[in-house]
Amino acid sequence: MTSLSSSTLTTTGNGLDRSGTSAEGTGSGRPKKSPVLSAVKSVAKHVLLIAAGLLMLYPLLWMAVSSLRPNDLIFRQPGLWLKTLHVQNYSEGWTALAQPFGRYLLNSAIVVIGAIVGNLVSCSLAAYAFARLRFKGRKIWFAIMLLTIMLPVHVVVVPQYILFSQLGWVNTFWPLVLPKFLATDAFFVFLMVQFIRGIPRDLDEAARIDGCGHLKIFWHVILPLMLPALATTAIFTFIWTWNDFFTALIYLTSPDMFTVPVALRSFIDSTGGSNWGAMFAMSIVSLLPVFFAFLFGQKFLIKGISTTGIK
Amino acid sequence: MSVVGELNSLRRPKGAKKGEKEESPDNKAGYLFLAPWLIGLFLITIGPMLASLYLSFTDYNLIQPPEWIGLDNFHRMLGDSRLLNSLKVTFTYVFVSVPLQLALALLIALVLDRGMRGLAFYRSVFYLPSLLGSSVAIAILWRQIFGTSGLVNQVLGHLGVQSPPGWISNPDTALSTIILLHVWTFGSPMIIFLAGLRQIPRMYYEAAEVDGAGTLTRFSKITLPLLSPIIFFNLVLQIIGAFQSFTQAFIVSGGSGGPSDSTMFYTLYLYQKGFGQFDMGYASALAWLLLVIIAAFTVINFIAAKYWVFYDD
Amino acid sequence: MTTRDFVISRRGALKLGLGATAAVALTATGCGSGGGAGGAKNADGKVELRLTWWGNDTRNANTAKLVEAYQKANPNVVIKPESGEWASYWDKLATQVAANDAPDIIQMDEKYIREYGGRGALLDLAKNGLDTSKFAPGTVKPGESKDGLMGINAGVNAPVILANPKVFKAAGVDLPDDKTWTWDDFKRIAVEITRKSPKGTYGSTSPMANDATLSGFLRQRGKALFTEDSLGFEAADAQAFYDWIMELQKAKAIPSPDEVAEDDGKSLDQSSFAIGKAGFGWVWSNQLNAYDAASGEDIKILRYPSQTGKAADAKLWYKASMFWSASSRTKNAEEVVKFINWLSNSVDAGAIQTTERGVPPNLDVREKIADKLTKSDKKTIAFIEAIEPELGDTPLPPPVGAGNFPDIQKRYGQDVIFGRSSSADAAKKLIDEVKGNISSAS
Repeated sequence: MTSLSSSTLTTTGNGLDRSGTSAEGTGSGRPKKSPVLSAVKSVAKHVLLIAAGLLMLYPLLWMAVSSLRPNDLIFRQPGLWLKTLHVQNYSEGWTALAQPFGRYLLNSAIVVIGAIVGNLVSCSLAAYAFARLRFKGRKIWFAIMLLTIMLPVHVVVVPQYILFSQLGWVNTFWPLVLPKFLATDAFFVFLMVQFIRGIPRDLDEAARIDGCGHLKIFWHVILPLMLPALATTAIFTFIWTWNDFFTALIYLTSPDMFTVPVALRSFIDSTGGSNWGAMFAMSIVSLLPVFFAFLFGQKFLIKGISTTGIK
Repeated sequence: MSVVGELNSLRRPKGAKKGEKEESPDNKAGYLFLAPWLIGLFLITIGPMLASLYLSFTDYNLIQPPEWIGLDNFHRMLGDSRLLNSLKVTFTYVFVSVPLQLALALLIALVLDRGMRGLAFYRSVFYLPSLLGSSVAIAILWRQIFGTSGLVNQVLGHLGVQSPPGWISNPDTALSTIILLHVWTFGSPMIIFLAGLRQIPRMYYEAAEVDGAGTLTRFSKITLPLLSPIIFFNLVLQIIGAFQSFTQAFIVSGGSGGPSDSTMFYTLYLYQKGFGQFDMGYASALAWLLLVIIAAFTVINFIAAKYWVFYDD
Repeated sequence: MTTRDFVISRRGALKLGLGATAAVALTATGCGSGGGAGGAKNADGKVELRLTWWGNDTRNANTAKLVEAYQKANPNVVIKPESGEWASYWDKLATQVAANDAPDIIQMDEKYIREYGGRGALLDLAKNGLDTSKFAPGTVKPGESKDGLMGINAGVNAPVILANPKVFKAAGVDLPDDKTWTWDDFKRIAVEITRKSPKGTYGSTSPMANDATLSGFLRQRGKALFTEDSLGFEAADAQAFYDWIMELQKAKAIPSPDEVAEDDGKSLDQSSFAIGKAGFGWVWSNQLNAYDAASGEDIKILRYPSQTGKAADAKLWYKASMFWSASSRTKNAEEVVKFINWLSNSVDAGAIQTTERGVPPNLDVREKIADKLTKSDKKTIAFIEAIEPELGDTPLPPPVGAGNFPDIQKRYGQDVIFGRSSSADAAKKLIDEVKGNISSAS
């Protein structure tokens, strides 16, 4: 990895060449000097990126291979070479738990969709207020918001569990979704604040002079301009919620409410026998939605300012 | 006025406020936009925080009611050698892994930002490790790679290295494998950098090109200043996150912080005290000490930001 | 999965707050009259009981069958299953108990039985009428303390040394006679296997790998791990234990410190004994099934050695592989105990469970299910029954504040094997730390 970073250093200059359009796959920049040198550079870069990519891919490959091995061979055969295809892991894994695995995927999907909508709406509203509006107590609220990120989770688990159990919301999705609608993921509020601050003020000033209210400016000027930040928020919310184990563990008690990460642990018993093959198979299955969400989401991510009509 | 200015003026006595008085023409709109967050803050955030603050002054074993003991928990910290060790481990981790990960994330983001063949593919591949989350699979994989007869040692063996250590299970090397695991998941800051790069208006670059500015000039005069709010964001959040780091250590050591406490992160220690030893009063006190440490670093960050973060407002 | 990812993904949990009512509830926990949902009657007038356990998918399916059978026989009861996995199970249980929302029936472990029981969170089963008349001698005791019967043995367990015949054969070493072998025999055989096996295979796993070993070691010195409310041994005993480990290590009877620490973090079926890289393994008897399956071998089950070569001097003991406990705050103590009674004593329940949670302590049940047992089960039961006449006293579970003793002991053990601390220092610090924990918890 270090060799990669040092060699990419030399290409960072090129990396800044914005002559390509925002869409991808438009070729490696505009050759300015020698075309041969440029081609060599380009090839070298791809080779390096692919090498680094393999390093990144290794875990996935290993998981995929393990998901196709019989249970007793997973830890006895190292390496990525498969002698047999033990596809039963998939069919067995799908049905091994109290509910078909699809149920857990569905539960996770419900929570994830709720969380994404909640975070996008509530965090962007709060961020607009912090970044653009002048109101009393703004600094103090901002500082408090940052403070809420700083306390380790483990000491607030119990008080907050008490709250939700008093509300009768244990074993429902509310404790997982509702907080998102109340912008409790301060991380994203701060993220969006930083993005909004990067948007030239002239743009909303102009709108304001035209007589637009804050809601209009927020909706028609700021939101379209912060599409990359919104995409980032959506992607991260998707992935972090999809992978979130602890909250789901604490609040969802009955097996038919489990989300994917909780269900996956049901295959494992560290003090006895574990169903590793099924666990890996279902891990792969549950990785697919995340992967596609990312592939889809990053299309929005790279839609920069250039595509929103403002230059 | 920048966020820095705001925080600074927070620290100043009222009379000494810089120049013009803050106007608040958007009071109503401000609180309307902030309403969901404020509701969340008061309904579900502040309560547990205050509860944990209260518990830090009590002897609380989770099962019986808390008992007020004043500052005893904080006194106890002074003689707690394992706490000192966990601080050492955590600080090492923060100061090594955060700069490494951010530098790597920024470099890759810069490379991947420009139009090139296979961009979407590379981006996805580099983000992959972050997709896997804190899954059990990662824990097993990491042990497979860095075990005594794992992938790394097999390669080293072929290179003729005699009896390399068991990276994860040796107290001298265990922490470095966790740092590596953290750096390896540079996908999240990379994505944020990418989004930030995309938001830099093209017109600046075009104007610079017309003026004949070279790539390095464009990087230092346009990219760096315009990306600085995002770099700042990543820095602040990464430091906060690294101080609270839990998962990696939990995964790699199976929650023990071992071998020999060499990967006993602060939050892991706190967790063991609270849930393993039913000493939630002490754990709460530990949490608030950590909050003070993190807040101090964040304030320093905000003050330093005055000199290098550029806002267009 | 950066740190932040995790922290943030958990932040949902962090942010949730505490209303005024909740704050009251927090200070009210332990008063025994809170509003937990457990044990309430549901809309149909049926008694609703919450049942929680840890385990893998096999146990989950098995437990679902138990629940189904019980509900069929007792139509007035609805049992809500809440399954979990070992590591996270305890976080969840602690949170639920703290919030006065504990499940009615709780699968419990020796490590935590006093932590909960000693603080009043568990029901005295004996006082509430649990029938243990058919239990094998010595099998009820592990759940007893001065607070009463805090949990009933759900499966009989004993500390054992397993031997992998394949490793022995490959090394050309004979299996020992476990009725007469001594500690010197153990060391000699282990050293011989290491010497005659391929690189990376050792005579034995580290005795430190299992929390029973120190207990067994102390018992043979006339000491015990715990007394009713403190430690039952001194620094000199712990030092002797660490010295013995170092001796085995220097003789290469056990793997290197790196390998030992690594093995420690692995789950059962990844461990060096399970994959055939060790001749002897220090485990609990109820793990034999899993080791048979993971290794694919017909693993042999052996008694601990003794100093004298007499099996009775090995001072073996019965442990509960796990307990059935009940929340002291249940609203339906009667129905809860009735259910636990059925789990413990009914042949129907036994027929469904067989030995999934360990060898049934109830002798009638054990006899009636004999024809349903696998080969591994039969080996285990034969062993459990064979050692019964040789058993020493039943050791006490860790007192309040000492539940994490195995972790502490392991940490100091690692200090010693990695040369970071002398055995004398480590032993002294071990005693100090555990005694400190016990006194601050009481």
